[in-house]
Amino acid sequence: MIRHPLAWGAWTAAALAAAFIDRNPYLQALLLLVVINVFVPYRGGRRAGTWKFALALALVPILFSAALSRFGEHVLFTLPAIPIIGGRWTLDAVAFGASTGLALLLTVAVFGILQTTVRSADVVAILPRPLYRAGTTVALALAFAPKTLAAFQSIREARQLRGQRTGWRSTPALLLPLLLTTLERALQYGESLDARGFGSGRRSRYRPLRWTVPDLIVVIASLTAIVAIAVLPAVPYNPYLELTPSVPYPDRLLAVALLAVPAFVASLSRVDHAPHHA
Amino acid sequence: MPLITLDRVSYRYPEADRPALSEITTGVEPGEVILLRGASGSGKSTLLRCLNGLVPHSTGGQFRGRVVVCGLDTREHPPRQLGIHIGFVFQHPDAQFVLEDVEAELAFGLENLGLSRPLMRKRVEEVIDQVGINPLRRRRIDTLSGGERQRVAIAAALAMHPKALVLDEPTSQLDPQAAEDVLQVVLRLVAELGMTTVIAEHRVERIAPFVDRIWTIDAGVLRDQPPRIALAEGGARPPVVDLALRAGWTPIPLGLRDARVHAQRLPHRVPSPSPNSPSPGGGVWGPVICKVEGLDHHYDAVPAVQGLSVTLCRGQVVALMGRNGSGKTTLLRLIAGLMRPQRGTVTHDGVAAYVPQDADSLLFAPTVDEELRGQSAEVVAPFAAWLHRYPRDLSSGERQQLAIALMGARADLLLLDEPTRGLDPLVKRALSAYLRTRAGAGAGILVATHDVEWAARTADRILLMADGEIYADGPPGTVLSDSLVFATQISKLVGGGWLLPEEVPL
Repeated sequence: MIRHPLAWGAWTAAALAAAFIDRNPYLQALLLLVVINVFVPYRGGRRAGTWKFALALALVPILFSAALSRFGEHVLFTLPAIPIIGGRWTLDAVAFGASTGLALLLTVAVFGILQTTVRSADVVAILPRPLYRAGTTVALALAFAPKTLAAFQSIREARQLRGQRTGWRSTPALLLPLLLTTLERALQYGESLDARGFGSGRRSRYRPLRWTVPDLIVVIASLTAIVAIAVLPAVPYNPYLELTPSVPYPDRLLAVALLAVPAFVASLSRVDHAPHHA
Repeated sequence: MPLITLDRVSYRYPEADRPALSEITTGVEPGEVILLRGASGSGKSTLLRCLNGLVPHSTGGQFRGRVVVCGLDTREHPPRQLGIHIGFVFQHPDAQFVLEDVEAELAFGLENLGLSRPLMRKRVEEVIDQVGINPLRRRRIDTLSGGERQRVAIAAALAMHPKALVLDEPTSQLDPQAAEDVLQVVLRLVAELGMTTVIAEHRVERIAPFVDRIWTIDAGVLRDQPPRIALAEGGARPPVVDLALRAGWTPIPLGLRDARVHAQRLPHRVPSPSPNSPSPGGGVWGPVICKVEGLDHHYDAVPAVQGLSVTLCRGQVVALMGRNGSGKTTLLRLIAGLMRPQRGTVTHDGVAAYVPQDADSLLFAPTVDEELRGQSAEVVAPFAAWLHRYPRDLSSGERQQLAIALMGARADLLLLDEPTRGLDPLVKRALSAYLRTRAGAGAGILVATHDVEWAARTADRILLMADGEIYADGPPGTVLSDSLVFATQISKLVGGGWLLPEEVPL
């Protein structure tokens, strides 16, 4: 399994470059396949909770583009002169929206992978020693954000149970209990840190992060992909000019396929890791 | 030489009007196991926090007397130095972890000690085996259940090679199976390592046979007694002790094994056709208040409730029991109308109120008075003494009572999810009495609970649920007596359909 935060950093940069530099549907489809294959082995037993959000992110641009854009040759239907949405709805606009939506979906998915794979302990570990305390504090703060969100939801639900309004206007009423919950939790963290000897001066490292061969392979593959994507001739896609996308050259497909290396590494080490994800 | 000495310790929280601890003098010898008992809010947590210096270092307030831990005075040494000697496990399973994965978390305390890498590795491997968490070592903490988290917390504390382990109600937020797993770990450490242990725990019947002394704290005053004397005096105690006191058995048995010998001498009576005393409500039910027919609910592809039908009546207290994930909470939420059933129908008369497990989040006003605004005088009356207090300063039992009173005030059908979790016996009895009163006044009550003793004392009818289906339905005397899992301690001991110590004929 790939673990080094810098290896994941390189992979993320390459994947984002692939998602944005040319939005060719063939390349996007290939990248989506790669991203899914990388996500599955690295999600660590967690369920993909945000797929609905990601799907909405992909669909909204289609609707917006189709409803608002009046350009394009391939007319689907024509609405009467209603403000904003009236006029010709074109297939070209739908295709443009789909391409944008897919790029957004890919971005969210790539950051989702970064967030599940990189452990704050590892980031703290690669920080230089003087930054250790600050790094731990930041790691704690980052771990706090999702918990605060969960607390917000439970307070909202509690208000619903008590028959109080939960619309936008009730938000200020939610903030006070949220602040109190968060503060109480922060105090508990403080006690826990204290009880476990945090900040007593001397300090050693349990498992210093080392570069492994797979980590290096991922870095090399990612950098190669970035260079290839930047240097090779792009196959841009603009549905308003040409609705049918052009087929990309094999070398460009290969560059995107390089990003599947983490999934490949995971499948090799699956044998010894499988029980831990059960 | 004692490991821990407390010498006339008194403590008052900042701005509190009465002391949380007063004049406590006691000690802990190496290898001793001490059970700390006391009602919620009596000062248990405060006392335990004195042992590693969190009181007064992290709380402030007025501290008098001396606590000496392994020769270190806690006033002069901060908790981070005392942490080497005292391994501390907190009550809430989620607020004590710093890093994201289990192994890093186990090593965190060791890194702070500045140990060499090979030594750390050795310690981590050892605690993984001692606590039995090898399958968890590579997991991320946010994917662990509450019971798994508490075991990791125990392992993390143990890795520092403390002289003593201090546990503050480590199971009060857990379901019974998880609680049992955690207690097993503690008892194994006691048996195998002779670990000096101070534990606050409501499940006295599990711990009592293994303890050397019992500390009972009441309003900040501590009594330090041998187990038999402490249990005979009162407070939280196992049902066999109640029976032993009634029957005059000496010495008092602390667990089932000791009690068996005495139980042989009980007169063998053939259970009457309807064993068990008449159920608390007298067996006469009011009209039907809720009817559930052919209910089905799935989460993704996992069935939570399958083809379930049940009828609830006014005047009835019904306990819904079953292992975790058997669909109890889903059923309650479906009946309450918080979720729409995917198939089947739920019909009920009047207002239904649902009180979730975590009642804390239901209270958010700055004072109890404001929480109760608009409620009738009889609802407010029991809380007259706390009106000016801040709800989050109440003990967990008090908060639970307030939340149930608030939610249930106008309800005809009261749906409670695990209301007894983490409550002491006194508060549990108050809850029983409250529910019986509400049922007497014509409300229908359905309680999901794991607490067999409480259900036997409170419910008229028991539903056992597994895999989304109800597989047993009947009065407690029948359902709880021919069960291995859902049996009270007395029914395990005596059999014959007797559930509670006061029912057994002598």
